[in-house]
Amino acid sequence: MGLGTGDGPQGRRAWKTRVLLYAVVGVVFVYSLWPILTMFLEGYNVDLGAVFAGKAIRFIGGLSYSGGINPTPYYFLQALGAEAYPRLALNTLVVSALSISIALAVGIPAAYALARLDVRGKTLVSYLLLALRTVSQFVVIIPLYITYSALGLYDTFPGIALAEQMLILSVAVWMLKGFFADVPRDVYEAATLFGKREWQTFRRVVLPMVAPGIVVTTMFALVLIWNDFLIADSLTGAATKTVAVGVWEGLSITQLSFSAVTWNGLNAAGTLAYIPAMAVMLAVRKYLARGFSLGLTD
Amino acid sequence: MESFRWYLVFVPLSAVMGLVVVYPLAFSLYLSLTNTAGTPELSNYAAMLSASTFWSSLNISLLYSLTSTILAVAIGLVLTMLLTYRFRFRGLLEVVCLLPLAVAPIVVGTVFAPSGFWDDVQSFLVFQLHQPYFNELSPSFFFPTMFVSEAWEWAPLIMLVALSVVQGIPKETTEAAELSGATFLQKFRMVVLPAIFKSPVMQFVVVLRFIDAMRAFEIPLAWSNWLGYTNSLGSPVDTISLYLYKLLYAPSLGFPIGVASAVALALFGITLTGSLVLLRLMRAVGG
Repeated sequence: MGLGTGDGPQGRRAWKTRVLLYAVVGVVFVYSLWPILTMFLEGYNVDLGAVFAGKAIRFIGGLSYSGGINPTPYYFLQALGAEAYPRLALNTLVVSALSISIALAVGIPAAYALARLDVRGKTLVSYLLLALRTVSQFVVIIPLYITYSALGLYDTFPGIALAEQMLILSVAVWMLKGFFADVPRDVYEAATLFGKREWQTFRRVVLPMVAPGIVVTTMFALVLIWNDFLIADSLTGAATKTVAVGVWEGLSITQLSFSAVTWNGLNAAGTLAYIPAMAVMLAVRKYLARGFSLGLTD
Repeated sequence: MESFRWYLVFVPLSAVMGLVVVYPLAFSLYLSLTNTAGTPELSNYAAMLSASTFWSSLNISLLYSLTSTILAVAIGLVLTMLLTYRFRFRGLLEVVCLLPLAVAPIVVGTVFAPSGFWDDVQSFLVFQLHQPYFNELSPSFFFPTMFVSEAWEWAPLIMLVALSVVQGIPKETTEAAELSGATFLQKFRMVVLPAIFKSPVMQFVVVLRFIDAMRAFEIPLAWSNWLGYTNSLGSPVDTISLYLYKLLYAPSLGFPIGVASAVALALFGITLTGSLVLLRLMRAVGG
Protein backbone atom coordinates (compact mmCIF):
# COMPACT_ATOMS: atom_id res chain seq x y z
CA MET A 1 0.00 0.00 0.00
CA GLY A 2 0.96 3.65 -0.07
CA LEU A 3 0.94 6.11 -2.85
CA GLY A 4 4.34 7.44 -1.92
CA THR A 5 4.73 10.81 -0.35
CA GLY A 6 4.46 12.80 -3.53
CA ASP A 7 6.46 15.61 -1.94
CA GLY A 8 8.70 17.90 -3.79
CA PRO A 9 12.42 18.15 -3.12
CA GLN A 10 13.77 18.29 0.40
CA GLY A 11 13.82 21.59 2.21
CA ARG A 12 11.36 24.08 3.59
CA ARG A 13 8.36 22.63 1.83
CA ALA A 14 9.03 19.06 2.96
CA TRP A 15 9.50 20.33 6.52
CA LYS A 16 6.18 22.15 6.44
CA THR A 17 4.44 19.09 5.00
CA ARG A 18 5.84 16.99 7.79
CA VAL A 19 4.57 19.33 10.51
CA LEU A 20 1.13 19.34 8.91
CA LEU A 21 1.19 15.56 8.57
CA TYR A 22 2.02 14.96 12.21
CA ALA A 23 -0.54 17.53 13.32
CA VAL A 24 -3.20 15.60 11.41
CA VAL A 25 -1.90 12.29 12.79
CA GLY A 26 -2.15 13.77 16.28
CA VAL A 27 -5.73 14.86 15.71
CA VAL A 28 -6.68 11.39 14.45
CA PHE A 29 -5.03 9.79 17.50
CA VAL A 30 -7.05 11.99 19.85
CA TYR A 31 -10.23 11.49 17.82
CA SER A 32 -9.95 7.70 17.96
CA LEU A 33 -8.65 7.31 21.46
CA TRP A 34 -10.09 10.05 23.61
CA PRO A 35 -13.61 8.58 24.01
CA ILE A 36 -12.14 5.18 24.90
CA LEU A 37 -9.60 6.76 27.23
CA THR A 38 -12.33 8.78 28.94
CA MET A 39 -14.26 5.60 29.64
CA PHE A 40 -11.17 3.94 31.09
CA LEU A 41 -10.29 6.93 33.28
CA GLU A 42 -13.84 7.46 34.52
CA GLY A 43 -13.81 3.83 35.57
CA TYR A 44 -10.87 4.76 37.79
CA ASN A 45 -12.76 7.82 39.01
CA VAL A 46 -10.44 10.18 37.17
CA ASP A 47 -12.46 13.04 35.68
CA LEU A 48 -10.52 14.87 32.97
CA GLY A 49 -13.09 17.64 33.13
CA ALA A 50 -11.77 18.63 36.51
CA VAL A 51 -8.21 18.70 35.19
CA PHE A 52 -9.15 21.07 32.41
CA ALA A 53 -11.15 23.23 34.78
CA GLY A 54 -8.13 23.67 37.01
CA LYS A 55 -9.09 25.43 40.23
CA ALA A 56 -12.19 27.04 38.76
CA ILE A 57 -14.55 24.13 39.23
CA ARG A 58 -13.49 23.22 42.73
CA PHE A 59 -15.59 25.80 44.53
CA ILE A 60 -19.02 25.90 42.96
CA GLY A 61 -21.28 27.93 45.22
CA GLY A 62 -18.65 27.86 47.90
CA LEU A 63 -18.73 24.08 48.10
CA SER A 64 -15.71 22.02 47.28
CA TYR A 65 -16.18 19.91 44.19
CA SER A 66 -16.05 16.24 44.97
CA GLY A 67 -15.18 15.00 41.46
CA GLY A 68 -11.79 15.21 39.90
CA ILE A 69 -8.70 13.14 40.28
CA ASN A 70 -9.37 10.55 42.92
CA PRO A 71 -8.00 7.44 41.24
CA THR A 72 -9.29 4.26 42.80
CA PRO A 73 -9.53 0.69 41.56
CA TYR A 74 -12.74 0.38 43.60
CA TYR A 75 -15.13 0.31 40.63
CA PHE A 76 -13.05 -2.17 38.69
CA LEU A 77 -12.79 -4.43 41.74
CA GLN A 78 -16.52 -4.11 42.30
CA ALA A 79 -17.21 -5.00 38.68
CA LEU A 80 -14.84 -7.96 38.93
CA GLY A 81 -16.71 -9.31 41.96
CA ALA A 82 -17.86 -12.88 41.53
CA GLU A 83 -21.49 -12.05 40.82
CA ALA A 84 -20.82 -9.34 38.28
CA TYR A 85 -18.43 -9.31 35.36
CA PRO A 86 -16.98 -12.86 35.54
CA ARG A 87 -20.48 -14.30 35.61
CA LEU A 88 -21.57 -12.17 32.64
CA ALA A 89 -18.42 -13.07 30.71
CA LEU A 90 -18.96 -16.75 31.40
CA ASN A 91 -22.59 -16.49 30.24
CA THR A 92 -21.50 -14.77 27.05
CA LEU A 93 -18.86 -17.42 26.38
CA VAL A 94 -21.40 -20.22 26.85
CA VAL A 95 -23.85 -18.48 24.52
CA SER A 96 -21.05 -17.92 22.00
CA ALA A 97 -19.81 -21.51 22.17
CA LEU A 98 -23.28 -22.90 21.54
CA SER A 99 -24.20 -20.34 18.95
CA ILE A 100 -20.95 -20.56 16.98
CA SER A 101 -21.11 -24.37 17.06
CA ILE A 102 -24.53 -24.24 15.42
CA ALA A 103 -23.36 -21.67 12.87
CA LEU A 104 -20.27 -23.70 11.97
CA ALA A 105 -22.13 -27.01 11.84
CA VAL A 106 -24.69 -25.77 9.34
CA GLY A 107 -22.46 -23.12 7.77
CA ILE A 108 -19.37 -25.12 6.81
CA PRO A 109 -21.13 -27.57 4.44
CA ALA A 110 -23.21 -24.77 2.95
CA ALA A 111 -20.18 -22.50 2.48
CA TYR A 112 -18.22 -25.35 0.87
CA ALA A 113 -21.06 -25.96 -1.57
CA LEU A 114 -21.50 -22.25 -2.29
CA ALA A 115 -17.81 -21.90 -3.07
CA ARG A 116 -17.78 -24.88 -5.46
CA LEU A 117 -21.30 -25.02 -6.79
CA ASP A 118 -22.26 -23.63 -10.20
CA VAL A 119 -25.98 -24.26 -10.43
CA ARG A 120 -29.25 -22.49 -9.72
CA GLY A 121 -30.39 -22.03 -6.15
CA LYS A 122 -27.19 -20.24 -5.21
CA THR A 123 -28.85 -16.85 -5.64
CA LEU A 124 -31.78 -17.93 -3.51
CA VAL A 125 -29.48 -19.02 -0.69
CA SER A 126 -27.53 -15.75 -1.02
CA TYR A 127 -30.71 -13.74 -0.86
CA LEU A 128 -32.03 -15.62 2.16
CA LEU A 129 -28.71 -15.04 3.92
CA LEU A 130 -28.92 -11.34 3.10
CA ALA A 131 -32.47 -11.20 4.42
CA LEU A 132 -31.25 -12.89 7.60
CA ARG A 133 -28.44 -10.33 7.92
CA THR A 134 -30.67 -7.30 7.37
CA VAL A 135 -33.95 -8.38 8.98
CA SER A 136 -35.36 -6.07 11.63
CA GLN A 137 -34.47 -7.88 14.83
CA PHE A 138 -37.92 -7.29 16.28
CA VAL A 139 -39.61 -9.32 13.53
CA VAL A 140 -37.73 -12.26 15.01
CA ILE A 141 -37.58 -11.26 18.65
CA ILE A 142 -41.33 -10.83 19.24
CA PRO A 143 -42.35 -14.29 17.96
CA LEU A 144 -39.35 -15.96 19.56
CA TYR A 145 -40.15 -14.30 22.88
CA ILE A 146 -43.70 -15.67 22.76
CA THR A 147 -42.61 -19.11 21.61
CA TYR A 148 -39.74 -19.30 24.11
CA SER A 149 -42.05 -18.31 26.97
CA ALA A 150 -44.47 -21.08 25.98
CA LEU A 151 -41.73 -23.70 25.61
CA GLY A 152 -39.70 -22.67 28.64
CA LEU A 153 -36.77 -21.58 26.45
CA TYR A 154 -36.80 -17.97 27.62
CA ASP A 155 -33.63 -17.12 29.53
CA THR A 156 -31.92 -20.39 28.55
CA PHE A 157 -28.63 -20.84 26.71
CA PRO A 158 -30.03 -22.86 23.76
CA GLY A 159 -32.76 -20.27 23.26
CA ILE A 160 -30.46 -17.29 23.07
CA ALA A 161 -27.87 -19.26 21.06
CA LEU A 162 -30.48 -19.95 18.39
CA ALA A 163 -31.61 -16.31 18.31
CA GLU A 164 -28.01 -15.11 17.88
CA GLN A 165 -27.92 -16.92 14.51
CA MET A 166 -29.66 -13.80 13.26
CA LEU A 167 -26.41 -12.00 13.93
CA ILE A 168 -23.73 -14.52 13.00
CA LEU A 169 -25.03 -17.17 10.60
CA SER A 170 -24.90 -15.23 7.35
CA VAL A 171 -21.61 -13.61 8.32
CA ALA A 172 -20.13 -17.03 9.13
CA VAL A 173 -21.33 -18.63 5.87
CA TRP A 174 -19.92 -15.81 3.77
CA MET A 175 -16.60 -15.64 5.55
CA LEU A 176 -16.20 -19.41 5.29
CA LYS A 177 -17.21 -19.34 1.65
CA GLY A 178 -14.37 -16.89 1.05
CA PHE A 179 -11.89 -19.19 2.76
CA PHE A 180 -13.08 -22.21 0.74
CA ALA A 181 -12.81 -20.16 -2.45
CA ASP A 182 -9.20 -19.33 -1.50
CA VAL A 183 -8.29 -23.02 -1.82
CA PRO A 184 -6.75 -23.33 -5.31
CA ARG A 185 -8.76 -25.25 -7.91
CA ASP A 186 -5.72 -27.48 -8.48
CA VAL A 187 -6.15 -28.94 -5.03
CA TYR A 188 -9.64 -30.18 -5.84
CA GLU A 189 -8.52 -31.48 -9.21
CA ALA A 190 -5.52 -33.29 -7.76
CA ALA A 191 -7.71 -34.87 -5.10
CA THR A 192 -10.17 -36.03 -7.75
CA LEU A 193 -7.30 -37.43 -9.83
CA PHE A 194 -6.22 -39.54 -6.88
CA GLY A 195 -9.73 -40.96 -6.85
CA LYS A 196 -10.85 -39.30 -3.66
CA ARG A 197 -14.55 -38.94 -3.16
CA GLU A 198 -16.07 -35.55 -2.50
CA TRP A 199 -16.42 -36.26 1.21
CA GLN A 200 -12.82 -37.44 1.50
CA THR A 201 -11.55 -34.43 -0.43
CA PHE A 202 -13.47 -32.20 1.91
CA ARG A 203 -12.52 -33.99 5.11
CA ARG A 204 -8.87 -34.82 4.44
CA VAL A 205 -7.67 -32.12 2.05
CA VAL A 206 -9.80 -29.00 2.13
CA LEU A 207 -10.89 -28.82 5.76
CA PRO A 208 -7.31 -28.79 7.17
CA MET A 209 -6.43 -26.04 4.70
CA VAL A 210 -9.41 -23.97 5.81
CA ALA A 211 -8.93 -24.58 9.56
CA PRO A 212 -7.26 -21.18 10.15
CA GLY A 213 -10.20 -19.55 8.37
CA ILE A 214 -12.61 -21.36 10.68
CA VAL A 215 -10.71 -19.99 13.68
CA VAL A 216 -10.90 -16.46 12.24
CA THR A 217 -14.64 -16.86 11.62
CA THR A 218 -15.14 -18.09 15.18
CA MET A 219 -13.30 -15.10 16.63
CA PHE A 220 -15.21 -12.66 14.48
CA ALA A 221 -18.54 -14.18 15.49
CA LEU A 222 -17.43 -14.11 19.12
CA VAL A 223 -16.98 -10.32 18.97
CA LEU A 224 -20.39 -9.90 17.33
CA ILE A 225 -22.13 -11.87 20.08
CA TRP A 226 -20.06 -10.26 22.82
CA ASN A 227 -21.09 -6.79 21.65
CA ASP A 228 -24.72 -7.63 20.89
CA PHE A 229 -27.22 -5.84 23.07
CA LEU A 230 -30.68 -5.95 21.50
CA ILE A 231 -31.15 -9.70 20.98
CA ALA A 232 -29.56 -10.61 24.29
CA ASP A 233 -31.48 -7.96 26.21
CA SER A 234 -34.80 -9.23 24.87
CA LEU A 235 -34.27 -12.95 25.34
CA THR A 236 -32.05 -13.30 28.40
CA GLY A 237 -32.93 -12.81 32.04
CA ALA A 238 -31.06 -13.22 35.28
CA ALA A 239 -29.72 -16.68 34.42
CA THR A 240 -28.11 -16.03 31.03
CA LYS A 241 -27.49 -12.27 30.93
CA THR A 242 -24.57 -11.36 28.66
CA VAL A 243 -21.83 -8.76 29.06
CA ALA A 244 -23.29 -5.94 26.95
CA VAL A 245 -26.65 -6.20 28.73
CA GLY A 246 -24.97 -6.30 32.12
CA VAL A 247 -22.90 -3.22 31.35
CA TRP A 248 -25.95 -1.20 30.42
CA GLU A 249 -27.85 -2.32 33.48
CA GLY A 250 -24.93 -1.20 35.60
CA LEU A 251 -24.00 -4.76 36.60
CA SER A 252 -25.67 -5.45 39.90
CA ILE A 253 -27.12 -1.97 40.14
CA THR A 254 -30.56 -2.15 38.59
CA GLN A 255 -31.58 1.47 38.36
CA LEU A 256 -29.36 3.54 36.14
CA SER A 257 -28.97 7.14 37.18
CA PHE A 258 -26.55 9.99 36.92
CA SER A 259 -25.19 9.37 40.38
CA ALA A 260 -21.42 9.19 40.54
CA VAL A 261 -21.30 5.62 41.76
CA THR A 262 -23.25 4.06 38.90
CA TRP A 263 -21.56 6.31 36.38
CA ASN A 264 -18.08 5.17 37.36
CA GLY A 265 -19.26 1.59 37.68
CA LEU A 266 -20.73 1.78 34.20
CA ASN A 267 -17.44 2.99 32.79
CA ALA A 268 -15.39 0.40 34.63
CA ALA A 269 -17.73 -2.30 33.32
CA GLY A 270 -17.62 -0.79 29.84
CA THR A 271 -13.84 -0.91 29.88
CA LEU A 272 -13.83 -4.51 31.04
CA ALA A 273 -16.28 -5.39 28.27
CA TYR A 274 -14.21 -3.56 25.70
CA ILE A 275 -10.75 -5.00 26.35
CA PRO A 276 -11.44 -8.64 25.34
CA ALA A 277 -13.47 -7.54 22.29
CA MET A 278 -10.64 -5.28 21.22
CA ALA A 279 -8.01 -7.98 21.72
CA VAL A 280 -9.93 -10.54 19.65
CA MET A 281 -10.76 -8.01 16.98
CA LEU A 282 -7.18 -6.84 16.59
CA ALA A 283 -6.06 -10.46 16.38
CA VAL A 284 -8.23 -10.94 13.28
CA ARG A 285 -7.83 -7.44 11.92
CA LYS A 286 -6.57 -8.65 8.52
CA TYR A 287 -9.97 -10.28 8.00
CA LEU A 288 -12.21 -7.55 9.41
CA ALA A 289 -13.02 -6.07 6.01
CA ARG A 290 -13.98 -9.53 4.82
CA GLY A 291 -16.22 -10.18 7.82
CA PHE A 292 -18.02 -6.85 7.75
CA SER A 293 -18.49 -6.83 3.96
CA LEU A 294 -20.00 -10.33 4.09
CA GLY A 295 -16.97 -11.90 2.44
CA LEU A 296 -16.82 -9.59 -0.56
CA THR A 297 -13.33 -8.23 0.07
CA ASP A 298 -10.21 -10.40 0.01
CA MET B 1 -24.27 -35.71 -12.12
CA GLU B 2 -23.69 -35.18 -8.43
CA SER B 3 -25.82 -32.07 -8.35
CA PHE B 4 -28.63 -33.65 -6.38
CA ARG B 5 -26.44 -34.44 -3.41
CA TRP B 6 -25.17 -30.88 -3.33
CA TYR B 7 -28.57 -29.64 -2.31
CA LEU B 8 -28.47 -31.80 0.79
CA VAL B 9 -25.79 -29.59 2.38
CA PHE B 10 -28.28 -26.73 2.43
CA VAL B 11 -30.78 -28.74 4.47
CA PRO B 12 -29.32 -27.98 7.93
CA LEU B 13 -28.85 -24.33 6.93
CA SER B 14 -32.43 -24.12 5.73
CA ALA B 15 -33.66 -25.72 8.96
CA VAL B 16 -31.93 -23.07 11.09
CA MET B 17 -33.07 -20.28 8.79
CA GLY B 18 -36.58 -21.64 8.97
CA LEU B 19 -36.44 -21.39 12.74
CA VAL B 20 -34.92 -17.91 12.95
CA VAL B 21 -36.38 -16.24 9.86
CA VAL B 22 -39.31 -17.96 8.17
CA TYR B 23 -41.21 -19.10 11.25
CA PRO B 24 -40.83 -15.76 13.13
CA LEU B 25 -41.77 -13.86 9.99
CA ALA B 26 -44.94 -15.90 9.51
CA PHE B 27 -45.77 -15.55 13.22
CA SER B 28 -45.22 -11.78 13.06
CA LEU B 29 -47.50 -11.55 10.07
CA TYR B 30 -50.16 -13.51 11.94
CA LEU B 31 -49.80 -11.33 15.04
CA SER B 32 -50.01 -8.13 13.02
CA LEU B 33 -53.17 -9.27 11.23
CA THR B 34 -55.15 -10.45 14.25
CA ASN B 35 -56.39 -8.83 17.43
CA THR B 36 -55.82 -10.22 20.92
CA ALA B 37 -58.84 -12.52 20.55
CA GLY B 38 -57.32 -14.02 17.41
CA THR B 39 -59.84 -12.64 14.93
CA PRO B 40 -58.34 -11.34 11.70
CA GLU B 41 -58.44 -7.60 11.23
CA LEU B 42 -56.35 -4.73 9.97
CA SER B 43 -56.74 -2.52 13.03
CA ASN B 44 -53.08 -2.93 13.98
CA TYR B 45 -51.94 -1.40 10.72
CA ALA B 46 -54.52 1.35 11.06
CA ALA B 47 -53.26 2.06 14.60
CA MET B 48 -49.67 2.10 13.35
CA LEU B 49 -50.38 4.48 10.48
CA SER B 50 -52.43 6.87 12.60
CA ALA B 51 -49.82 7.11 15.37
CA SER B 52 -47.78 10.27 15.02
CA THR B 53 -45.02 8.60 17.05
CA PHE B 54 -44.61 6.03 14.26
CA TRP B 55 -44.11 8.67 11.59
CA SER B 56 -41.77 10.74 13.69
CA SER B 57 -39.67 7.66 14.49
CA LEU B 58 -39.54 6.85 10.77
CA ASN B 59 -38.31 10.38 10.10
CA ILE B 60 -35.73 10.18 12.86
CA SER B 61 -34.48 6.84 11.56
CA LEU B 62 -34.09 8.19 8.03
CA LEU B 63 -32.30 11.29 9.23
CA TYR B 64 -30.12 9.24 11.58
CA SER B 65 -29.26 6.71 8.93
CA LEU B 66 -28.52 9.16 6.12
CA THR B 67 -26.47 11.53 8.22
CA SER B 68 -24.46 8.94 10.10
CA THR B 69 -23.72 6.98 6.91
CA ILE B 70 -22.52 10.08 5.07
CA LEU B 71 -20.42 11.08 8.07
CA ALA B 72 -18.94 7.60 8.38
CA VAL B 73 -17.99 7.60 4.69
CA ALA B 74 -16.49 11.08 4.97
CA ILE B 75 -14.44 10.27 8.06
CA GLY B 76 -13.51 6.88 6.66
CA LEU B 77 -12.17 8.50 3.49
CA VAL B 78 -10.13 11.04 5.45
CA LEU B 79 -8.58 8.19 7.43
CA THR B 80 -7.96 6.31 4.19
CA MET B 81 -6.23 9.30 2.68
CA LEU B 82 -3.99 9.62 5.70
CA LEU B 83 -3.15 5.91 5.67
CA THR B 84 -2.26 5.79 1.98
CA TYR B 85 0.47 8.31 2.79
CA ARG B 86 3.79 6.77 3.72
CA PHE B 87 5.10 7.90 7.11
CA ARG B 88 6.71 6.55 10.23
CA PHE B 89 3.78 5.64 12.47
CA ARG B 90 1.46 4.52 9.68
CA GLY B 91 1.05 0.95 10.99
CA LEU B 92 0.39 2.10 14.54
CA LEU B 93 -2.10 4.69 13.33
CA GLU B 94 -3.98 2.06 11.37
CA VAL B 95 -4.40 -0.03 14.53
CA VAL B 96 -5.49 3.02 16.55
CA CYS B 97 -8.03 3.90 13.86
CA LEU B 98 -9.54 0.42 14.14
CA LEU B 99 -10.11 0.62 17.90
CA PRO B 100 -13.63 2.18 17.82
CA LEU B 101 -14.87 -0.79 15.77
CA ALA B 102 -14.63 -3.12 18.77
CA VAL B 103 -16.62 -0.92 21.15
CA ALA B 104 -20.08 -2.40 21.73
CA PRO B 105 -22.71 -0.01 20.30
CA ILE B 106 -24.41 0.26 23.70
CA VAL B 107 -21.06 1.32 25.16
CA VAL B 108 -20.65 3.91 22.38
CA GLY B 109 -23.93 5.31 23.67
CA THR B 110 -22.51 5.62 27.17
CA VAL B 111 -19.03 6.78 26.14
CA PHE B 112 -20.46 9.81 24.35
CA ALA B 113 -22.90 10.55 27.16
CA PRO B 114 -23.11 14.11 28.46
CA SER B 115 -21.63 13.11 31.79
CA GLY B 116 -18.65 11.34 30.24
CA PHE B 117 -16.81 12.52 27.21
CA TRP B 118 -18.72 15.77 26.72
CA ASP B 119 -18.23 17.11 30.22
CA ASP B 120 -14.51 16.89 29.58
CA VAL B 121 -14.85 18.66 26.24
CA GLN B 122 -17.14 21.24 27.84
CA SER B 123 -14.68 21.82 30.62
CA PHE B 124 -11.79 22.14 28.17
CA LEU B 125 -13.67 24.65 26.01
CA VAL B 126 -14.95 26.73 28.90
CA PHE B 127 -11.95 26.85 31.17
CA GLN B 128 -9.03 26.51 28.76
CA LEU B 129 -10.37 28.24 25.65
CA HIS B 130 -12.82 30.55 27.47
CA GLN B 131 -15.79 29.64 25.27
CA PRO B 132 -19.37 29.93 26.52
CA TYR B 133 -21.19 26.88 27.90
CA PHE B 134 -23.27 24.81 25.50
CA ASN B 135 -26.39 22.92 26.49
CA GLU B 136 -25.71 19.19 26.19
CA LEU B 137 -29.42 18.37 26.26
CA SER B 138 -30.53 20.61 23.40
CA PRO B 139 -31.45 19.02 20.04
CA SER B 140 -28.82 21.03 18.19
CA PHE B 141 -26.28 19.25 20.35
CA PHE B 142 -27.53 15.71 20.86
CA PHE B 143 -28.57 14.96 17.28
CA PRO B 144 -25.14 15.76 15.83
CA THR B 145 -23.54 13.90 18.73
CA MET B 146 -25.57 10.77 18.02
CA PHE B 147 -24.72 10.91 14.32
CA VAL B 148 -21.06 11.49 15.02
CA SER B 149 -20.85 8.68 17.56
CA GLU B 150 -22.47 6.25 15.13
CA ALA B 151 -20.02 7.43 12.46
CA TRP B 152 -17.13 7.25 14.96
CA GLU B 153 -17.81 3.57 15.47
CA TRP B 154 -18.22 2.63 11.80
CA ALA B 155 -15.84 4.94 9.91
CA PRO B 156 -13.01 2.39 10.48
CA LEU B 157 -15.04 -0.14 8.50
CA ILE B 158 -15.30 2.23 5.54
CA MET B 159 -11.57 2.84 5.93
CA LEU B 160 -10.77 -0.89 5.88
CA VAL B 161 -12.78 -1.52 2.73
CA ALA B 162 -11.39 1.61 1.04
CA LEU B 163 -7.85 0.51 1.86
CA SER B 164 -8.50 -2.89 0.30
CA VAL B 165 -9.74 -1.11 -2.83
CA VAL B 166 -6.59 1.02 -2.87
CA GLN B 167 -4.50 -2.13 -2.73
CA GLY B 168 -6.24 -3.38 -5.85
CA ILE B 169 -5.40 -0.29 -7.92
CA PRO B 170 -2.91 -1.35 -10.60
CA LYS B 171 0.59 -0.04 -9.97
CA GLU B 172 0.81 1.28 -13.55
CA THR B 173 -2.02 3.71 -12.87
CA THR B 174 -0.40 5.36 -9.88
CA GLU B 175 3.00 5.32 -11.57
CA ALA B 176 1.56 7.00 -14.64
CA ALA B 177 0.06 9.67 -12.41
CA GLU B 178 3.42 10.15 -10.69
CA LEU B 179 5.23 10.46 -14.02
CA SER B 180 2.89 13.19 -15.10
CA GLY B 181 3.89 15.05 -11.96
CA ALA B 182 0.75 14.60 -9.89
CA THR B 183 1.06 15.52 -6.21
CA PHE B 184 -0.20 13.21 -3.48
CA LEU B 185 -3.49 15.07 -3.19
CA GLN B 186 -4.02 15.07 -6.95
CA LYS B 187 -3.35 11.34 -7.10
CA PHE B 188 -5.80 10.74 -4.28
CA ARG B 189 -8.48 12.86 -5.86
CA MET B 190 -8.11 11.66 -9.44
CA VAL B 191 -7.04 8.05 -9.10
CA VAL B 192 -7.92 6.72 -5.64
CA LEU B 193 -11.28 8.37 -4.92
CA PRO B 194 -12.91 7.37 -8.22
CA ALA B 195 -11.67 3.80 -7.73
CA ILE B 196 -13.19 3.73 -4.24
CA PHE B 197 -16.56 5.10 -5.32
CA LYS B 198 -16.74 2.81 -8.35
CA SER B 199 -15.97 -0.30 -6.34
CA PRO B 200 -19.11 -2.46 -5.99
CA VAL B 201 -17.74 -3.79 -2.69
CA MET B 202 -17.57 -0.25 -1.34
CA GLN B 203 -21.09 0.46 -2.57
CA PHE B 204 -22.26 -2.77 -0.97
CA VAL B 205 -20.73 -1.87 2.38
CA VAL B 206 -22.18 1.65 2.30
CA VAL B 207 -25.69 0.37 1.54
CA LEU B 208 -25.33 -2.28 4.24
CA ARG B 209 -24.24 0.42 6.69
CA PHE B 210 -27.27 2.49 5.73
CA ILE B 211 -29.59 -0.47 6.38
CA ASP B 212 -27.91 -1.19 9.71
CA ALA B 213 -28.24 2.45 10.70
CA MET B 214 -31.94 2.33 9.76
CA ARG B 215 -32.24 -0.34 12.43
CA ALA B 216 -30.05 1.61 14.88
CA PHE B 217 -31.02 0.96 18.43
CA GLU B 218 -28.33 1.14 21.08
CA ILE B 219 -27.02 4.70 20.69
CA PRO B 220 -30.57 6.16 20.51
CA LEU B 221 -31.53 4.05 23.54
CA ALA B 222 -28.68 5.54 25.53
CA TRP B 223 -29.58 9.08 24.46
CA SER B 224 -33.26 8.56 25.16
CA ASN B 225 -32.11 7.61 28.64
CA TRP B 226 -29.86 10.68 29.06
CA LEU B 227 -32.80 12.82 27.97
CA GLY B 228 -35.01 11.33 30.65
CA TYR B 229 -37.21 9.05 28.56
CA THR B 230 -36.04 5.69 29.86
CA ASN B 231 -38.97 3.54 28.78
CA SER B 232 -41.50 6.07 27.59
CA LEU B 233 -42.53 7.02 24.08
CA GLY B 234 -42.14 10.44 22.60
CA SER B 235 -38.47 11.17 23.15
CA PRO B 236 -37.02 13.24 20.29
CA VAL B 237 -34.49 10.50 19.53
CA ASP B 238 -36.87 7.54 19.06
CA THR B 239 -35.75 5.61 15.98
CA ILE B 240 -38.02 2.87 14.62
CA SER B 241 -36.17 0.19 16.56
CA LEU B 242 -36.34 2.21 19.75
CA TYR B 243 -40.02 2.94 19.13
CA LEU B 244 -40.59 -0.81 18.82
CA TYR B 245 -38.64 -1.50 21.99
CA LYS B 246 -40.68 1.02 23.93
CA LEU B 247 -43.95 -0.34 22.53
CA LEU B 248 -42.97 -3.69 24.00
CA TYR B 249 -41.42 -2.54 27.26
CA ALA B 250 -43.32 0.55 28.36
CA PRO B 251 -45.52 -0.75 31.19
CA SER B 252 -48.29 1.79 30.50
CA LEU B 253 -48.91 0.61 26.95
CA GLY B 254 -50.11 -2.88 27.89
CA PHE B 255 -47.92 -4.85 25.47
CA PRO B 256 -49.58 -3.93 22.12
CA ILE B 257 -48.06 -6.92 20.36
CA GLY B 258 -50.14 -6.65 17.19
CA VAL B 259 -49.14 -3.05 16.55
CA ALA B 260 -45.51 -3.82 17.40
CA SER B 261 -45.52 -6.69 14.89
CA ALA B 262 -46.99 -4.38 12.25
CA VAL B 263 -44.25 -1.79 12.87
CA ALA B 264 -41.58 -4.51 12.85
CA LEU B 265 -42.85 -5.76 9.49
CA ALA B 266 -42.86 -2.21 8.11
CA LEU B 267 -39.21 -1.90 9.10
CA PHE B 268 -38.58 -5.31 7.57
CA GLY B 269 -40.11 -4.07 4.31
CA ILE B 270 -37.66 -1.18 4.27
CA THR B 271 -34.60 -3.31 4.97
CA LEU B 272 -35.75 -5.96 2.49
CA THR B 273 -35.86 -3.34 -0.27
CA GLY B 274 -32.37 -2.32 0.74
CA SER B 275 -31.15 -5.88 0.59
CA LEU B 276 -32.42 -6.17 -3.01
CA VAL B 277 -29.94 -3.41 -3.84
CA LEU B 278 -27.32 -5.37 -1.91
CA LEU B 279 -28.05 -8.52 -3.90
CA ARG B 280 -27.49 -6.66 -7.16
CA LEU B 281 -24.18 -5.29 -5.95
CA MET B 282 -23.21 -8.72 -4.69
CA ARG B 283 -23.83 -10.20 -8.13
CA ALA B 284 -21.69 -7.43 -9.65
CA VAL B 285 -18.80 -8.59 -7.47
CA GLY B 286 -19.55 -12.20 -8.32
CA GLY B 287 -20.18 -13.26 -4.75
